Amino acid sequence: MGSPKITVDYTKCGDGVGIDPRGCTKCLRACDPAIFLMHETIGVEQDRYDPQLWRVTPVWLSLCTRCMKCVSACPLGAISVEG
Amino acid sequence: MCDWCSKHGAGGKWYMNARNYSDELAKRENMEAYLTEQWCSFEQVYIRKIMGISSIDIGHKLQMPIIGRVLRWQAERMIHSESKNRNPVRADGHFGQVIPLEDAKVILGNLAAEPIIENYCMCRWMQRGVKEACCINFGALSGVIEKLPRFIPKDNVYRIDREEAMRRIEKHNRKGYVASVWFQPVPYINAICSCENPECGGLRLRNDFGLKTVYKAEYVASIDPDLCQGCKECVSMCQFGALRFIPSLGRVMVDLNKCFGCGNCRHSCQHDAISLLPRQQFPSLGY
Repeated sequence: MGSPKITVDYTKCGDGVGIDPRGCTKCLRACDPAIFLMHETIGVEQDRYDPQLWRVTPVWLSLCTRCMKCVSACPLGAISVEG
Repeated sequence: MCDWCSKHGAGGKWYMNARNYSDELAKRENMEAYLTEQWCSFEQVYIRKIMGISSIDIGHKLQMPIIGRVLRWQAERMIHSESKNRNPVRADGHFGQVIPLEDAKVILGNLAAEPIIENYCMCRWMQRGVKEACCINFGALSGVIEKLPRFIPKDNVYRIDREEAMRRIEKHNRKGYVASVWFQPVPYINAICSCENPECGGLRLRNDFGLKTVYKAEYVASIDPDLCQGCKECVSMCQFGALRFIPSLGRVMVDLNKCFGCGNCRHSCQHDAISLLPRQQFPSLGY
């Protein structure tokens, strides 16, 4: 079985909308294999020493067990797991 | 000893060579500029491109028939790069080795270039959103990290002297965190981390994808079968799943192929049954 497709809806979380992922981190902490990465948003002008816009990207997809803990942990319903 | 010892160890272990810590080396190679570029956007290191291919889901890509092998070759080349045009935002030339507490104390007590700081761990921050002050950095890297507010602890003194650094690494070690020393970039040494699985980026790439970002220590654990009482305390200390309780024998055994030689298991043993042996005594094990 290949890696699942995990989508974070950035119109609900990250980049200055919804809850600041830095103050939430529920998906990061819910995931047993820690497949999520929290990072500064790329492609927007930011203070390079103290960036304020952050988002979460699922990076280690092959380690995902499809347990769906991230989907239930997200207070904004921003995460979906398919495949 | 590992390959990097013969290359940068001046006859001993690479991380025991004072030259690799020197301000003179940092200055000559303009390490401050490299480290600033690297650390300003370090959280993006897992989403950078390798050969034009996004590193997202690298575990799957490394399994692909031909592309996977080329990708692995290129990733290893980047990790161990000593070339002049290393890319700091990909952290080229940044890799390390697990070390036991004794070696970490020798480094912090004698070799590390001042100033020494203890800042929030990058890996736990980007993988879990946790801010934990357990990363000890020194030399030219200290001034670079001090410019980045997200890594500077607010409730703790972060500029520390050698004695305090040795006390803190011991505290982290006894908690179960694995000490590791880092080239950043090779041959400049400026960090001793206190790592855990699977949050640590280095251990992640090594354990889950087989990339040599972290080498095993110059040691392996050994349990004296006469002294071990089978209490299993050590089993939960091991970050690498290298210790196993054998019910029929009533004692714990080490899987030498999994042991990274950090020596943390020793902290939990009430019976003094665990010691470290030189990895060299076991030629089949590798690093």
